[in-house]
Amino acid sequence: MNEIILLGFIKFLILALVVYWVAIGISLIYRARRNYRLHKIEVTFADLVSRYLFNSVDAPLSIREINASLRQVGIKPGNPNNIQYLIRLLIRTQQSIIGSKNEKLNKLYAQIPPYGESVSKVNSWGWYRKARGIREIYEMNQHQYFDRIFKYRNHRNVYVRREAQIAMVVFRGWESLRFLSYLKRNMTLWQQIKIVEKLYDNYPKPELKWLRKAYKSERSFAKCLLMRIIRKFELHSEIDFILKHLFHPDYNLRETAIYCLGTFAVSSEHMDFIKKNYSKLPNSSQQALLLDYISENSELDVDFYLEQLYGPNEDLILNVAEILWNNGHKEKVQEFYLQQYPKATLNVG
Amino acid sequence: MWDSIEGFFSSGIVFNLTNYFFFLYGLALLSLYFAGVLLASRAIKKTKQKSTFLQVGDIVSATDIPTVTLVAPAYNEGLTIIENVKSLLSIQYPYYEFILVNDGSKDDSLEKLIKEFDLERHDASFITQPIPTATVRYIYRSRNKKYTHLTVIDKNNGGRADALNAGINFANTELVVCTDADCIIEQDALLKMVRPYLEEDEKEIIACGGGIGIANDSIVSNGVLKELKLPKSIVPMVQVVEYIRAFLLGRMAWGEINGLMLVSGAFGMYPRKRVLEVGGFNAKTVGEDLELCIRLRMHMENLKIPYKVVYLPETLCWTEGPPDYSILVKQRDRWARGLWETMSLHKKLFFNPRYRYMGILYYPYWLFFEFGAPLVEFFGLICIIAFGFFGWINWPVAILLFFAVYLLGCLFSTAAIFMYVKSFDHYTKPKQIIELLLAAYLEPFVYHPVIVYGQMLGYYKKIFKIKSGWGTMTRKGFSASGS
Repeated sequence: MNEIILLGFIKFLILALVVYWVAIGISLIYRARRNYRLHKIEVTFADLVSRYLFNSVDAPLSIREINASLRQVGIKPGNPNNIQYLIRLLIRTQQSIIGSKNEKLNKLYAQIPPYGESVSKVNSWGWYRKARGIREIYEMNQHQYFDRIFKYRNHRNVYVRREAQIAMVVFRGWESLRFLSYLKRNMTLWQQIKIVEKLYDNYPKPELKWLRKAYKSERSFAKCLLMRIIRKFELHSEIDFILKHLFHPDYNLRETAIYCLGTFAVSSEHMDFIKKNYSKLPNSSQQALLLDYISENSELDVDFYLEQLYGPNEDLILNVAEILWNNGHKEKVQEFYLQQYPKATLNVG
Repeated sequence: MWDSIEGFFSSGIVFNLTNYFFFLYGLALLSLYFAGVLLASRAIKKTKQKSTFLQVGDIVSATDIPTVTLVAPAYNEGLTIIENVKSLLSIQYPYYEFILVNDGSKDDSLEKLIKEFDLERHDASFITQPIPTATVRYIYRSRNKKYTHLTVIDKNNGGRADALNAGINFANTELVVCTDADCIIEQDALLKMVRPYLEEDEKEIIACGGGIGIANDSIVSNGVLKELKLPKSIVPMVQVVEYIRAFLLGRMAWGEINGLMLVSGAFGMYPRKRVLEVGGFNAKTVGEDLELCIRLRMHMENLKIPYKVVYLPETLCWTEGPPDYSILVKQRDRWARGLWETMSLHKKLFFNPRYRYMGILYYPYWLFFEFGAPLVEFFGLICIIAFGFFGWINWPVAILLFFAVYLLGCLFSTAAIFMYVKSFDHYTKPKQIIELLLAAYLEPFVYHPVIVYGQMLGYYKKIFKIKSGWGTMTRKGFSASGS
C-alpha cells in the first residue's frame, strides 16, 4: 500500500516537473517573440512621430495614415499588451519633448487609438488598472478627463489617490494646493517629491496666493510638502514658514525644515533666532545638521560655540571643537579638554 | 513495560518515534516551502506593479530624494581594489557618497588608492564616533574633482563589522548601504533600493535588501558587469540556483508577511539614524548582518513603532561565490557560527509574545528550520546507518521515499528558476536554462552534503569552543572584457 501511494505521489511530482519545463519553454519562446514585436512597434512609432512632428509640406502625414501604420504592427483593440506598450512609448516621448512640439504631440495623442484605453482603465475595479489609467492621462497631459480623475483624490488605495492627487497638480497647478486641507490621508515622501517636480515642470512661475492659503493646513504632510515647494522654487520671501517648523515637536517636520533650510542663506535676524533656539532641538543628529548649517552660513560666533562646547550634548562636542580649532581658537579647545582632567597629586617616592 | 534496555530498543518505540519526528519535520518544512512559493509569486507581482508608479527615471530627476552613503570595508584587497572602487564610484544616484574603509590592510591597498585617486590625507582627531570602533588613523579625500564623493577611512584592523561601523559613523546621509568592496553593484541599484523608503507611509522601513547573484566567470569591464555568464564549474553553478531559490522564494515570501530577519551583508540599505540607535553592527559575531537585522527589529518592537523589512526580487548585486569545495566549506562554517552566535544572543525572543510574530513565529522558524536543519539532516544520516544495521529499514519504501523527496526538492528549484526566467532577463538562452536545471537536479548529490558538512563543522567549533574568525576567502576575480 505504502509503495502504491508513494509511486502515485512520484508520478504526480514528475508531472508537475514536466508542467514547469513546458512553462519555462513557453516563457522563453514568448519572450523572444514579444521582444521582436515590441521592437517593431517602437521603430514604427519613432518613425511616425518624427514624421508627424517635422511634417513634410509636400506630402503631410495624416492621422489616418498614422492609425493604419499602427494597426499594421499590431496596435488593435484585441491586443491590449501592444496597446499598453504603445502607451509607454507615448509617455516616454512626451517626457522628452518640450515646447511647441509637445503641444503638437498632445493633439496627436488625442486622436490615436490607445488613448481610450487609459480612460477605460480609470473606470475599472482593480486598483492597479485604475491608478495606471490616471497616471497615463496626466503623463499624456489630457486635460479633458480631469473631472473623471478628481473624485479619486481620497481613494482608499494609496496608489489610486496618489496618482489622482498628482493629476490634480498637473492639471490645476498652484491652485490645487488649496485642496491640501481637505485631503483625508497621509502623503508618502514620493508623492510629495513628485508633486513638487510636476509643479516645477508645468508651472514654473510661483503663485504665492495659493501657497499662502495652503499654510493654514494643519496636516503634517501638507506642511512638509509646502516646505519642499519653498525650497524647490527658492522662495526667499517664504522662509519664515520653514523657520516656524525648525523647532517643531514633530521629528519629521523638523527634519524637513532643516533639509529645506539648507538651500537658503538667512538674514542675521533669522540666524540669531536659530542660534537662540538651537538648544531646544531635542535630537542630537538634527542638532549636528543644524550646526553644520550655522557654521557654513554665518560668521564665527565664539560665544555660541563655547556654549555648545560646555553644553550637555556630548555628541556635539567634537563637531564644535573642530569648528573652533579650524577657525583660530585652538587654545579654547585645549582649555576645554585640559579642564576635563582632575588635578591629581602625584605620589612619587 | 520494558524489562531491559534491549527490550526498550526492540519494542519499536525508538523506530516509530524517530520516524514520526522526521515525517512531521519534513511535512512542516514542505508546507513552509509551498507557502513560500505562493507568497513569493504574490510579492513579485506586487513589486512589479508598484514599480510602474515609481520609475527609476523619475527618481533620477527628483531633487528631494534621501541621500545615500555606500560603505564598503576592504582588507588586503590590493589586487582588485582599484577596479572595485571604480565600479562602486560609477553607481547612479543623484546624492551619493562612497566611503571605503581600509580595515588595517597589510598589503599596498592604501598606497594604490592614494596614487590612483589622488587622495589627500586629513586629520581624524575630530571624527564623532557614536559607535565605538578601532582607532581611525586618517581620512583621505580626493583632490580630483571627478572623485569628490569618495572618502577613504584608514583604520586599525577590527573586522568587517567594525569597519562598517566606522563608515556609518563618518557618513552623514539619511540612508547607508553596506556592501563589500568586491561586489559589483548594478548601476541603478540604489535608485531601486530607495523606492520602498519613498513609498512607505504607514510603516518605517528599517532595512531593505536586494537580490544577490553569482557572477563567477562573467565578463566585467571598468567595474561594470558586461556579460553575465554561468560559472564553468559545478560548485558556483549550483550556487546560482541556490541564490535564486533563496532570494526569489525565501526572502520574497518572508518579506510579504514582514517576517524577514536577515538582510544580506553583501548588500543592505538601512536608515543611519536607526543603525546608530542600536549601536551599529556587532563586531563580536561573524553573523553581523543577521544580528543587526534582529536587533533593529527588536528596537522597533520596544519603541512600538510600526516597521517593515523589505526585499526586492531583482538581482542588484553580483558577487563571486566560492569557486571550490574547500572555500565553500569555510564559508558555510562561518555562516553556521554566525547563526549560532545570533540565535544564542537573542534567545530571549524564543516564543516571547512581547515581540509578537518575531517571538512567536520568525525566531522559532530560524531556530528549528535554519539552525536545526543541518542537525536534523546529520541525525537522519546516523539513523539510516543505525536502522540499516539493525535491519529495521524497508528498503523498497525507503528508496521510493528518497526519490519522492528528491523530486520535491527538484520541483521547488524548478519553480524558482521558472519565476526568475519569467520575471527577469539575466538568463535567456535555452542552453543556460538547461544548465541551471541540471545543476539544480545535481545539487542534492554533489553540493548539499558538502554544505551540511560545513555547517556541522561550524557547530562543532562552537560546541568545543574552537576559536575561528572569518577565515580567508580566496577569490579568482572576474574576467576582464576582452581577456
